[in-house]
Amino acid sequence: MMDRIFEARNLSRSYGGVCALWLPEFQVERGECVALTGRNGSGKSTLLRLLAFLEQPDAGTLHYYGSTTDPRRDITLLLQDPYLLKCSVFKNVTLGLRLRGETDHLEERYRAAMQDAGFEDPMALADRTQAMLSGGERQRVALASRLALSPRVLLLDEPTAHVDAASEEIIYASVRACLNRGVTILCATHDRTLFDFLDAREVVLRPRS
Amino acid sequence: MGYFADGFSQAADLLLHMDDATMSAIEATLVSTSWALAIAALLGLPLGFVLGYTNFPGKRALRLISDTLLAFPTVLIGLLVYVLITARGPLGSFGLLFTLPGMVIGQTILALPIIVSWTAQAVENLDARCRQTLLTLGASRTQTALLTLCEIRYDLGMVCVQAFGRVVTEVGVAMMLGGNIRYSTRTMTTAISLETSKGEFAQGIALGLVLLLIAFVVNALLTWLKRKGGK
Repeated sequence: MMDRIFEARNLSRSYGGVCALWLPEFQVERGECVALTGRNGSGKSTLLRLLAFLEQPDAGTLHYYGSTTDPRRDITLLLQDPYLLKCSVFKNVTLGLRLRGETDHLEERYRAAMQDAGFEDPMALADRTQAMLSGGERQRVALASRLALSPRVLLLDEPTAHVDAASEEIIYASVRACLNRGVTILCATHDRTLFDFLDAREVVLRPRS
Repeated sequence: MGYFADGFSQAADLLLHMDDATMSAIEATLVSTSWALAIAALLGLPLGFVLGYTNFPGKRALRLISDTLLAFPTVLIGLLVYVLITARGPLGSFGLLFTLPGMVIGQTILALPIIVSWTAQAVENLDARCRQTLLTLGASRTQTALLTLCEIRYDLGMVCVQAFGRVVTEVGVAMMLGGNIRYSTRTMTTAISLETSKGEFAQGIALGLVLLLIAFVVNALLTWLKRKGGK
């Protein structure tokens, strides 16, 4: 039997009476890569927010079989258009660690996360603010801030939607490296190159008719 | 135009020689405004943050009241506080009428809705992705609230600077509650008003120039805060 990490049944979520997600059945195995596809409005982002435990479903069940009592310590979500705080790149990337009280070797962990996100010289960007970064750099800094947490589950919402071709390839490589380390990845995407590259299992979401 | 030029010349003389009455009005203005702003910020920033950050029944009504109070006429504030602190009023025994603390009460009431409403607005205007980002990085509710506060720090600075600008230039409260007493509660604005009515323009112009300088500093500070806040 496979090692299951997520299991959902009859999951639904509505906003203002409009059904944003309806998912009769959904399972993810540990270390698996799942590509969530479907038309705009089919509920991909909603499902990711539910899996990240940022929201509760209106109906149905969602189980996470992780190692800790607080799933948010295992799972992290990279938003489609990520937000960086009004502080330096270093502080942004290490924020999650500091929030968890993991303040040892911050510089080393910063370097490692930034290199995983494809930055060759992380310290060159350390003092920059988000206003001094390109769109692709912002996306990769946001990715680095998630990778710094060493998540067991990485949720990605259209990670290549707002970046140029060069950044796209770097993001592909970063996500592939995570997968190779055994991180479970769920990625909402319209980018077929990405999920072919990741050899992901496709789950097509459909709006409830 | 001769008397106008004379007014400027005498005003420069008053400022250069640090005329007692002029300096006293500047001091009274800065002391009362600073106290009023400090008290209003202490009360208003947390109230405004809670109003903008949390959802609770009656929030919209409270917001409406706070926004309405932004247009509170200063003479009406003066009147209401006057009734409270006059000798026959409920707080009459404290002897606050025609004193700087009495003025501070009125000016605090003037600044409070500005700070509450604009702080709430700053929180509501913050990008919704900020809270989601903090939660995805594992922040607790308390950490999320504190970091949200930190994220709008420049906006809060702007709120305080704007409230200062409003209070420092008001006349109604200072006139009614301070009584425009020379070397005591006479502020820049009440002195300008009095001297102009007497046809004595020199001190009025001198104080007007200082007010303009304060307005310049306030606006320079606002511009700097806007730039720091990425607006």
